[in-house]
Amino acid sequence: MSSAGGWARKRRREAGLLFSDPRRDVAFPLAGGVVLFAAFVGSGLLYTAVVEGAAAEKLITAMFIDAVMVIGIQIYVGNTGVFSFGHVGFGAVAGYAFALFAIAPDDKLTRIPDAPWGLVDVHLSPAAATAVAVGVTLVVALVVGIGLGRSGARSGSVAATVITLALLFFTHEVATSWNDLTGGERAGLTFGIGDTLQTRTPIYIVLLASIIAALLFARSSVGRLSHAAREDNLAARAMGIDPVVQQTLALLLSVAVVSVAASLRVYEIGSLLPEFFFFNYTLLTLVMLIVGGRNGVTGALLGVAVITAVRESARRMGSDGYEVFGIGLDGNLDWVFREGLPTVLLGLAMVGFMIWRPNGVLGDWEIDAWLSRRLVRRRPPAPAAEAPVPEAVDLRAGGVSVEFGGFRALDDATVEVSNREIVGLIGPNGAGKTTLVNVMTGIVKPTAGEVSLGELPLTAAPSHEIARAGLVRTFQNLRLFTSLTVRENVEVAALVAAVYRNGGDRASIDAIVAGAGLWDQRDRRAGQLDYGNSRRLELARAAAAAPAFLLLDEPTSGMSDAESLAMVDSVRRMAAAVGAGVLVIDHDLNFITGICDRVYCLDQGRVIALGTPNEVQADAAVQAAYLGSAASNGAGTP
Amino acid sequence: MTDLVQNVIDGLGRGSIYALLALGVAVVFGVMHLLNFAHGELITVSGYAAYAAFSNGWSWYLVAPLIVVVSVVANVVIERIAFSRVRGSSEFTQLLTSFGIHFLVSAIFLMYIGARVQTFAEPSWIADTYSLGPLRVEVFDTVVIIVTIVTLALTAAVLQRTMFGLALRAAADDFDAARLMGVNSDRVIRGAFALSGALAGIAGIFWLMRAGHTSPSSGISPMLSGVLAALIGGLGSLRGAVIGGLALGMAEVMLRTWLPGTAAALTQGVVFTLIALLFIFRPGGIVNVAHAERV
Repeated sequence: MSSAGGWARKRRREAGLLFSDPRRDVAFPLAGGVVLFAAFVGSGLLYTAVVEGAAAEKLITAMFIDAVMVIGIQIYVGNTGVFSFGHVGFGAVAGYAFALFAIAPDDKLTRIPDAPWGLVDVHLSPAAATAVAVGVTLVVALVVGIGLGRSGARSGSVAATVITLALLFFTHEVATSWNDLTGGERAGLTFGIGDTLQTRTPIYIVLLASIIAALLFARSSVGRLSHAAREDNLAARAMGIDPVVQQTLALLLSVAVVSVAASLRVYEIGSLLPEFFFFNYTLLTLVMLIVGGRNGVTGALLGVAVITAVRESARRMGSDGYEVFGIGLDGNLDWVFREGLPTVLLGLAMVGFMIWRPNGVLGDWEIDAWLSRRLVRRRPPAPAAEAPVPEAVDLRAGGVSVEFGGFRALDDATVEVSNREIVGLIGPNGAGKTTLVNVMTGIVKPTAGEVSLGELPLTAAPSHEIARAGLVRTFQNLRLFTSLTVRENVEVAALVAAVYRNGGDRASIDAIVAGAGLWDQRDRRAGQLDYGNSRRLELARAAAAAPAFLLLDEPTSGMSDAESLAMVDSVRRMAAAVGAGVLVIDHDLNFITGICDRVYCLDQGRVIALGTPNEVQADAAVQAAYLGSAASNGAGTP
Repeated sequence: MTDLVQNVIDGLGRGSIYALLALGVAVVFGVMHLLNFAHGELITVSGYAAYAAFSNGWSWYLVAPLIVVVSVVANVVIERIAFSRVRGSSEFTQLLTSFGIHFLVSAIFLMYIGARVQTFAEPSWIADTYSLGPLRVEVFDTVVIIVTIVTLALTAAVLQRTMFGLALRAAADDFDAARLMGVNSDRVIRGAFALSGALAGIAGIFWLMRAGHTSPSSGISPMLSGVLAALIGGLGSLRGAVIGGLALGMAEVMLRTWLPGTAAALTQGVVFTLIALLFIFRPGGIVNVAHAERV
């Protein structure tokens, strides 16, 4: 009994980690998915009701299948920001796997009598063949996924694009050249008349399921962490996210959906040629994805509907002349309305959207997020209680040297901070302050010296592991997750703490947002914040990761005097709320004096002074360093 | 041994064309971090120009310079119309822009000229060979290799000796720093596109001579070769692009000779797999160009 209860609790905790807010992350995506499905299918059926005939029915069926395909691609591209040319290539793998298992042996004997592995005699039902297709394609996806992970795929990464492009061409090459398996470039594989998909029911089921799966994935912790990496890979790593895991999961889910779509497509068309899953289909699905907005499922579906409509009208105007809805357009427009117009429009749409609206019509708008913002009112939370004082631990960077080429940015610098104090790091420009923080957070590898947190050595560990160990930083040049909302920025950090550090709970997210003075801005995109609020959000986001140490790189840079005074209070409160020690770089001496227990002064990569703010300010070597006189060569250094 | 040398010569001939295409891709990548998937369309455009010229009775000696001119003009026009508007956007946006242009150009030819392959006469000497000891060398390969060497030497001279070359190398090294130092970014970028177009034009002459035809989709294969070779070499590195082109040409020739029967048909596929593997284990390409991010 008790063990069963424990098991149930563990499951609940894991589910809680996967979806931190059941209503927002599960209920609304389900509801939103049903609404989207109804609207999309409804508009398709409306079209077939108005425009009767087999051609219209066929068009709408193809649109539903394309929708599944595009949602599949969206799951990967939208959530990770990694651009893939290869998904249609995965589609080719699945399409051929489906065809080879679903086509009756008699038909295969005429087309591909020499097929390897005894495939000629295999005959599965369409559903079973789809399952096999998904399985086979997932294996390929896993291999590609490991490759992508190794290549350090990040958003916008060229390596990822090339690997996926290579997949597309490889599958096409195999499909055209391996005649025994695929029937080759011209003959292809055919089901034979009467054996094609006759009812839309499986398409509806698959479409609804993939819409909901995509929405749920985006709201899961996996989805949220990969959004952070999509927005800013470096900042995500500095917060403890190693996006490879999330990206691989996104790839697998996305490929599963794509495989089902490809099987349906082959089944519906009733035959398969290599060109069905090559450049033209890649163009079509990509344009569908970007026109509506690749970051959301709503955008993907909107794109599918709009592009289907545009293509169909262009095709009609191209082939039947340009009489639209009974209105004839007079004039010499023959040069526009001719065959081939749909493809030209697709190309134009792609270029045009990239130039004028790269994020599509809807941008980051998503139906479930909108519903939950409209329908759920959040009350401002009680202010965060101070965290119990944690066990004392020291952060130590000992004898650190860094050389960039011939330039010595740090020269045997030693800095120690306890998690009960706030320590300042000052020094003239180029003194090596940011470099020191970069070394501590694993962004720059030291030439000599070591970094440790208590007993734990951190020298040259990867950024995300350092962050998980408890060192979280902010950046001099802001690095927010710009297309996430303010609350989501903080939430991602809290999520990292919950997943990797067993700390931070949901209630505290609102408290931290409110504590940073950002409650009224919580649903705005971080990219729309003004400068001061952006700085405050960076601090709040770092604090939400519940670190043992906060490393702040110029938190008051660009702020007015009054604002930086308020920042003193903010930093104190945030640090106390999570029980973290603070190492802060700043140029504003009022701020430093107001907040720090101790101050280190760096000059030309060396620690030249250490003491209370007043002691350091009075130090002759420090004054010389700031005034830039020759005295820095000797006067004050011991 | 003789076979190997024979393969190397064949590979050099093929690889030289790739090297010119790749260098064009790398020059543009250097100045605006754009991986130009529209590069192959320059060959489609100049292919149709060549076809039109042949229909009017021009000879190859007149058509060859025409191809280069058309290619330069086309690349500069494409830059003005489209790429100048996405300058500084994310790599994602730039990449998709070039991908869109690739499709747009071929779709326009498809719409107005049709899918039919338009053929023209190859030069009479295209299949001629001469013996060099035990080797049989194509006149065509010899011409290609010599022209490539001259082109590369000229390009190197432009890059090393002229102000434009200096600005371009500086921009490729660190674009922001170069701009701060007073390099006119607009002029450098336009110049880079013109240079890239000229290189594509010279490659295009040989490509079209060998193919003897043009069609709306004839840009795909030179685009792939150019982009892949530039990537193999290490994007942004001009020397790497040339090495990458030669390596790709060699790899194709060697694999075609060495792969057993059925697999030989899959040469292209094997090359793609090798390239994917290269990227998995050495994402930066052969010549690694560090693009450190400032934090």
